[in-house]
Amino acid sequence: MTALARPSSLSDIHADVWQAHALATVPVRVQTTGNAALDAQLPGGGWPVGGMTEVLQTDGAHCEWRLLLPALARCGQGPVVLVGAPFVPFAPALVAQGLAVQRLLWMAAQTLAQRLWAAEQALRCAEVDAVLAWLPAGRADTVRTDQLRRLQMAASEYSKLLFVMRPAAARADASPAVLRLQVGVDAQRADALEVQLLKRRGPPSDQPLTLQACSAQLSMLLAVHGQPLVRPRDALDRPAARAA
Amino acid sequence: MHWIALQPAPHDGAADAPALTDVHAALAWWALQFTPLVARVQDVLVLEVSGSERLFGGRAALLAQLFKPNRPVAPVYSAQGATSLIAIGRLRAAATGRPVDLAPDALPLQALDSAQPHLPTLLRLGCRSWGQLRALPRGGLVRRFGAGLVDALDRAYGLQPEVYPWITLPDVFDAPLELQARVESAPALLFGARRLLAQLLVWLRARQRGVLMLELLWELDAARSAEQQGRLELRTAQATQDMQHLQRLLGEQLARVTLPAPVLYLRLRTLQTQPLGGESHSLLPDDLRHGDSLHQMAERVAARLGATQVLCVQTRADHRPEQMQCWQPWVAFDGKVDAIKKRANEAVQTGGEGLNAHTSLYPSWLLPVPQRLAVRRGQPQHHGDLALLAGPQRVEAGWLDGVAALRDYYVAHSAGVGLVWIYRERLTPNPGEDHAPWYLHGLFA
Repeated sequence: MTALARPSSLSDIHADVWQAHALATVPVRVQTTGNAALDAQLPGGGWPVGGMTEVLQTDGAHCEWRLLLPALARCGQGPVVLVGAPFVPFAPALVAQGLAVQRLLWMAAQTLAQRLWAAEQALRCAEVDAVLAWLPAGRADTVRTDQLRRLQMAASEYSKLLFVMRPAAARADASPAVLRLQVGVDAQRADALEVQLLKRRGPPSDQPLTLQACSAQLSMLLAVHGQPLVRPRDALDRPAARAA
Repeated sequence: MHWIALQPAPHDGAADAPALTDVHAALAWWALQFTPLVARVQDVLVLEVSGSERLFGGRAALLAQLFKPNRPVAPVYSAQGATSLIAIGRLRAAATGRPVDLAPDALPLQALDSAQPHLPTLLRLGCRSWGQLRALPRGGLVRRFGAGLVDALDRAYGLQPEVYPWITLPDVFDAPLELQARVESAPALLFGARRLLAQLLVWLRARQRGVLMLELLWELDAARSAEQQGRLELRTAQATQDMQHLQRLLGEQLARVTLPAPVLYLRLRTLQTQPLGGESHSLLPDDLRHGDSLHQMAERVAARLGATQVLCVQTRADHRPEQMQCWQPWVAFDGKVDAIKKRANEAVQTGGEGLNAHTSLYPSWLLPVPQRLAVRRGQPQHHGDLALLAGPQRVEAGWLDGVAALRDYYVAHSAGVGLVWIYRERLTPNPGEDHAPWYLHGLFA
């Protein structure tokens, strides 16, 4: 008789009904970020697979590897394509943090058009697991929204992890990215990251997150030293300094 | 004896596949999978299939294979008969609207190639069909029309053996193409090249090979240029029959070519091929690969951006950070090389464990060239004062390479950019300086 009982709450109506105060639980695949505090803030609990994630950074400050490496190390066995990397990726460090050396594929494209094209080609490849694209911040060639949308469409069609690194100046621009975040170095602690979620499928997040994001060995080393060694002479004479 | 005659139907321009450059050769290569006895008689191909009927499970099964599941490479008209001339005769008769299974005696004289020169005389005699021609006195026929007509009639009725120069599959694909119009720009050559590639695909399928290396040659208009020829070489990492991929590579390469004069002739030649095992398909639809393969993608990107722009890395056992890795142009490894490399890697890793014990302390970005840092009040500067957090890590290496690296590496913190990796030269090159210079070499990104 009670077969047509009314749903007890709105969330029971249908899985696809999304309420604006909750994080979207869309049935997309996600890749865990390797950081529980960040996972808790992301819809689905990780980086969206098949969606563009936009990472904004201030000029000169680079935090992308610390943020992305745990996910990249776990996301599969296929190549990780780096399009237009700003410096030389240092393979021994990346290997030490779990990313196999055979997986790295670096496309040193120069211009914006080349990078966008190369990134799209990489997304269309069946074997590639993740694509990281650095889009230049030059005044002459700023990426247009439709170009980003093209990447987003390719990522969703071929369900790949796609991270696009852009300058923080692009913060106010509209973007088709599924997830946008600004990342910077924490002012107090050298081994921590400050992540601010600018756009996600869910309620806006106003509090920046502080993530402990460093390789264990580096954190340990920094903890051992504690105080910044201002003068290099002391560093050379470490046993003596500790005994004192 | 059972003969099949095939005649290619005119190509309809509406089809999206490019036209073959030589339909008869392509059809013959395709037909060679059914029988070794394939010959070309004027514009008709004849196949003798009685020898291979048993292999395919009977004549009906062979014909079903020939016409149903493996679509011919081009649309064809066909007819069959006990001799090749009957098959050809039926094909010709069918083209004029007669039924395709006429009895040999009822076949019109127009369908006999040897009777063509004498056709007006024979028709005035009232002789219209093969049967009527055969009923004429043999001696008189030879005297009046020559021995050729009687011999043809004997062969048509199986009284003499039929021997043709049999077609064989060439070892190397080499096909010319005369362009219909002069081509002024290199990218426009792609249209002709597509037709050659379509022809190549038929050859590759017949040979069951994949192509590794190709050569496209073109002949320039001699009146307009001192150069006579131009050529382009295409390579792929894995043997392939995928013409789409080759076409894209060719398109990228042709986009960079400038022609000094119009092109009149094209020629495509295989330089290296390799037997190709079939690809096994998955039973489950979910397992189907979505997208193109890695080597295709990497080759396409390298074709447009340049081979030095697509890089993969190899680690080396060295103490100098810039020598620890080597980014080199991407190359595809087949399984055997991969296994060797893996073993070698393992060996390096077990051997070099002491070397790599501190790899977590290496930065994730390395500057291509160390950047000299300004020093103010005795402190190196990079987006503000640098505070040294950990170090030194001493590196002394490269004595044998000529330039010794004597460095102390520190992990430093800058308020602006976070953790960086800097080093100080232990030898001061300039005696005038009181401080050894500081360099920025990496970023802990």
